[in-house]
Amino acid sequence: MSELLEVKDLSKSYRDKNYWFNKKTTTVLAPISFSVEAHQTLAIIGDTGSGKSTLAKLLVGAEPASSGCIYLNGKALQSASYKQRCQHIRMIFQDSGTTLNPSLTILQLLDEPLKLNTPFDEVHRKDLIRTTLQKVGLLGDHMNFYPHMFSGGQKQRISLARAIILKPQVIILDEALASLDPSLRSQMINLLLDLQYQMGLAYILISHNLGIIRHFSDDIMVLSQGEVVESGKTRDVMTNPQHKVTQKLLRNHSFQLTPKK
Amino acid sequence: MNLLDIRNLSIELIHDEQSILAVDKISLSMKEGEVRGLVGESGSGKSLLAQALVGVLDDKWHVHADRFHWRGIDLLHLSIEERKALLSRDIAMIFQEPMACLDPTTSIGEQLTEAIDSGQLSGFFWQRKQQRQSAAIKLLHKVGIKDHNACLSSYPHQLTEAFCQRVMIAMALARRPILLIADEPTAAMEISNEGQIFRLLASLNQLKNMSILLISHDIENITHWTNTITVMYSGQFVEAGTTTQIFSKPLHPYTRALVDSSPSANLHLPAKSRLKTLPGSIPILQHLPIGCRLGPRCPRAQQACVKAPSVTNFHGHKVSCHFPLTPPSPLPKKIIKGDN
Repeated sequence: MSELLEVKDLSKSYRDKNYWFNKKTTTVLAPISFSVEAHQTLAIIGDTGSGKSTLAKLLVGAEPASSGCIYLNGKALQSASYKQRCQHIRMIFQDSGTTLNPSLTILQLLDEPLKLNTPFDEVHRKDLIRTTLQKVGLLGDHMNFYPHMFSGGQKQRISLARAIILKPQVIILDEALASLDPSLRSQMINLLLDLQYQMGLAYILISHNLGIIRHFSDDIMVLSQGEVVESGKTRDVMTNPQHKVTQKLLRNHSFQLTPKK
Repeated sequence: MNLLDIRNLSIELIHDEQSILAVDKISLSMKEGEVRGLVGESGSGKSLLAQALVGVLDDKWHVHADRFHWRGIDLLHLSIEERKALLSRDIAMIFQEPMACLDPTTSIGEQLTEAIDSGQLSGFFWQRKQQRQSAAIKLLHKVGIKDHNACLSSYPHQLTEAFCQRVMIAMALARRPILLIADEPTAAMEISNEGQIFRLLASLNQLKNMSILLISHDIENITHWTNTITVMYSGQFVEAGTTTQIFSKPLHPYTRALVDSSPSANLHLPAKSRLKTLPGSIPILQHLPIGCRLGPRCPRAQQACVKAPSVTNFHGHKVSCHFPLTPPSPLPKKIIKGDN
């Protein structure tokens, strides 16, 4: 089976427009290549400014890449065709409270991507919204509620419902679990794993919680200053880190969970 | 003598002639030089408790306590002015999101010199400015900022989040507090910055014998840095004990669930298996369950749980539950040696 998502030499650099001559460019992301299969999770870790959020933006199409190609199921994604891309690659953001429009009900929020991307009629759309809400552990009747009536964990579930309603193949989680409380976070992880099992989703998980990464991901990629310094199976990298950056990250993490002497 | 001794503190919110008990009979005591963690998920009232400690809650919150002692002084019998003078001298607080807490329109130097009170300065009025400046530089050195000139002249948006938090800690240290309350000091920080801040707090605790009340929503983040931990849920006391007691032998089902739900505590679980967790979500303040507030989510709940449980003490390990997990049997009177 070929890879679901394949990225070849993707890079991003900004040009400083202040100088007419002698234009400077700053490279945020050096050319990187990786691939993700269905049912798999790729974790990306790195410090601030390592380019992990830029990578997410490039994948989802929020910013044009400077070079390189993204292949989905073997077909190249055009940088201009958002229609194709937003059906197959969806994103969940860190702060679920601010990414939901407070003046729309959940029904309207979830209806919007369906209206724009599917030929379904109103009844069918409503049915789909109901089943999607049930899939993420909410009730169908919640569709008439406004975002402020939900708690943080439920809002994150609504973001997840919005992400999976178009039956995508890849979901990008940009620190989506960081702001949740521990017990809700575990519920969310369980839910994401169930959905991955049922729908064959591939996740790209950007996080700095190594505990979650260890539990959740199959492969890992460590970014530093826009370059991939280490990548491989999560278990191998975690038990035997090779690069200095990875070792430093793991050392910082080891302070957690070892009670004070 | 305990530094801080609070017994049965309740915080009530009066709204439209309706009262909501946001914090229900919490007891908290701290010794000198202790680092105590206060753990609870959002809505558990841990920040409210911290605000009640420093006395910054406004009129609509009603604070009652059976006992509220600070270094042996009964704070309930002091007037508001005396209490404020005492607490502002001895207790300092730092907040989450340091960038939002610093004034974006003035430079770090101005904000930091403002925090230094004139009681510490000696000399004539024309020397004061110079002294303030050098005191500010000293404070920055204390929190590990070496390039003090660049830092003093910059504005909050020019610094990274970890640097801003260091500046906040420097401000808190300006009055040489005995107790530092850190309300989620590392929320939304990268893991390497988080380590820096915690190491700084730990070194302050060791070198200056400063007590720290470390508030966090995540039990796994603070286990390495605390001596003792108090767990709260939805405004109620859950469990208190030393960090090892809480972490390796939790007695309350909620603490058990907190520890279980952190993926790094479950290294024995195979990757991608389901994590153990409590069903449901945290109740909102308007619809609190009666009795033990964990009741509807608790796997061990029985009929008795509609009444709030009282606190039981097992050798300093306090728990508030009708049906605690594996209640430790009383210690055998004689420990037999040399049998094996």
